[in-house]
Amino acid sequence: MWHLFDGQWQNPLDAADKIVPYLDGSNKPIFHPLNDSGDHVVLINARDIALPGTEWEKRVYFHHTGYARGATWTLAWQLHEIDPTMIMRKAVYNKLSKNLLRHGRMARLHIFPDDKVPDSILDNISAQIRQQRPVPTRLDHYPQEQVDSFPKIFDWPKDHIIN
Amino acid sequence: MSGKTWSLFWGSNFVRAPLQNGVGRYVQQLQRITFKFCKTHGGSKGMRAEDVDSGTCSSRTFHIEMAREYIEKELVGFARDNPGVVVYVKPRRHRSPCLKAEYLNGGEEYMSTQNHTCEDVHKWVAYLRGRSGYPTERIRKYQHTDHPSIQGVWTPWTHRHPAINIKDYPCEELSAAPQTEPTATHRLLELYERQKQQQQQQQQQQEQEAAKSSAA
Repeated sequence: MWHLFDGQWQNPLDAADKIVPYLDGSNKPIFHPLNDSGDHVVLINARDIALPGTEWEKRVYFHHTGYARGATWTLAWQLHEIDPTMIMRKAVYNKLSKNLLRHGRMARLHIFPDDKVPDSILDNISAQIRQQRPVPTRLDHYPQEQVDSFPKIFDWPKDHIIN
Repeated sequence: MSGKTWSLFWGSNFVRAPLQNGVGRYVQQLQRITFKFCKTHGGSKGMRAEDVDSGTCSSRTFHIEMAREYIEKELVGFARDNPGVVVYVKPRRHRSPCLKAEYLNGGEEYMSTQNHTCEDVHKWVAYLRGRSGYPTERIRKYQHTDHPSIQGVWTPWTHRHPAINIKDYPCEELSAAPQTEPTATHRLLELYERQKQQQQQQQQQQEQEAAKSSAA
């Protein structure tokens, strides 16, 4: 069974909590630690995840090459520029149970930075995981008529500069 | 490593009875039980038979006075209640007491009853009587059934609405987070609508009053 999850405007740390039961199969009533009943999860729009607060600037990802002076600390926004799937992947990887099955379960997670998914994967999908927070609509995404007809108390003067 | 030792640590099985024993009829699996004991030794105290000729030895009188329990009190009752079980009583000098049970499937069970009380022996005999003769194993799961479900085994499609079968993914409707309360935009629009309705009502009232006054 393949599930789809839309990462648009979702907190990757909360979304990982939601995805992990699908990967290890613990969302099923037939779950047993000895049987391998995990599902595939396809995560789209990983580029548009939303970290809360100041996490983009404050969250640091540590890596060590193993050599002397091989330690690197990468900020979340820098890592996201390098690989837009990496924050989501690391969030799920850290939420999975720490055992020998972890890599096999990670292999069932398919992350795409945008909504362009190969048909070979999209054809498998038969369910969608519900998002955790509503996706806000930006002002320039509303149709112009709706913006114009929205009730307002007063009109800004023509020469008023808002920003 | 013998198979018995292996299954003691790594073997596992479901709860089962040989040939569904007990469903409809019960076949006694215990065929023979042998009580081996010493008439004089203290370790056989809980199991030992009464020594008819009480000896002159003080230690012997001590044992006679103490409980010589199981064989003297309960064994006859046990044999009477279980006519399918052959009971042997085997006294032997200066050996520790034990129970030897032999089962219908050829299995054997030996257990030492050194220094056991009468109650202990009674419980262990009841345990041996209820055994199937197969070696004990770890229970793989605490629940098991041959008929998992009358309604049908659970599948990922159980209790799912069939409408999702014809959905195209990604699907906005299935993905969107549930709205628990109206947003500020919704409330603002509601206020606006209410205000418009009130204004319309006021206008109608004014028109009606104006019409009445003109008619008068």
